[in-house]
Amino acid sequence: MVPITLYLSLAAILFCVGLYGVLTRRHLVIVLASVELMLNAVNINLVAFSSIGPYADITGQVFTLFIISVAAAEVAVGLAILIALYRNRESIDVIKHDLLRW
Amino acid sequence: MNPQMIFFLVLAVLAIACAVLVLQLKRISHRVVSMAFCFFAIAGLYFLLGAEFIGIIQIIVYAGAVTILFIFGMMMTEHRNITFSAHPRKLHRVLSFVGVGTLLGFMLYGILNMDLPQNGSPRVYEEGTAHEIGLVLYGHYVIAVIGMAFLLTAALIGAIVIARKEAK
Repeated sequence: MVPITLYLSLAAILFCVGLYGVLTRRHLVIVLASVELMLNAVNINLVAFSSIGPYADITGQVFTLFIISVAAAEVAVGLAILIALYRNRESIDVIKHDLLRW
Repeated sequence: MNPQMIFFLVLAVLAIACAVLVLQLKRISHRVVSMAFCFFAIAGLYFLLGAEFIGIIQIIVYAGAVTILFIFGMMMTEHRNITFSAHPRKLHRVLSFVGVGTLLGFMLYGILNMDLPQNGSPRVYEEGTAHEIGLVLYGHYVIAVIGMAFLLTAALIGAIVIARKEAK
């Protein structure tokens, strides 16, 4: 049997890899992919917690379903914004899209 | 060293290695493929945890739909010779690495010191997890399901409107 702490550690490592990618990468597609990695790490946590304990509950898996649908919606809208940005500004560098920065 | 532990270690190493490769590979298309393999490894972890419905949904939605969306997004933009202007961001990178490393250290410290039930054996549902999830999803969380349907519809329409070519 795999102890639950290993799953939680794996999720923490995946989350931190995704966070580092969001903070440092400049390609917009890669930033979105890093966000997806972070959401997946959270899903691993939820499923791992829903499967242990004397009173194991299915609620964690239901919440995972909700997170997956929100992530799918986020990717669709994010990539649409990416295409619109590329059409208008001819660049997908995160640094160059600082119109709303103060 | 039972077989489950071996499967877990293989899948975990695969997931972490693919996640790191997403950030490190040279070509953007290779990065997207590496992300797809990371999603497959995570789906394998769900099967290992006894959540077969979530694992199948992960393969359908993430490894299928989301990866295809990413490939389309990559192909609609410049992806061959992408050159970012030189920018002094060494300090930013080092600071991010230190900050994320500190966060990871604190999280691992908290996880390893947590008092958790040690049985670690996944619960087995006699009728399969799809049955149980359906009962809970359309019983207690039915309003959330309807809200999710509205969210997905709004995201679909919004994505079409945003990405549409505007008439001159």
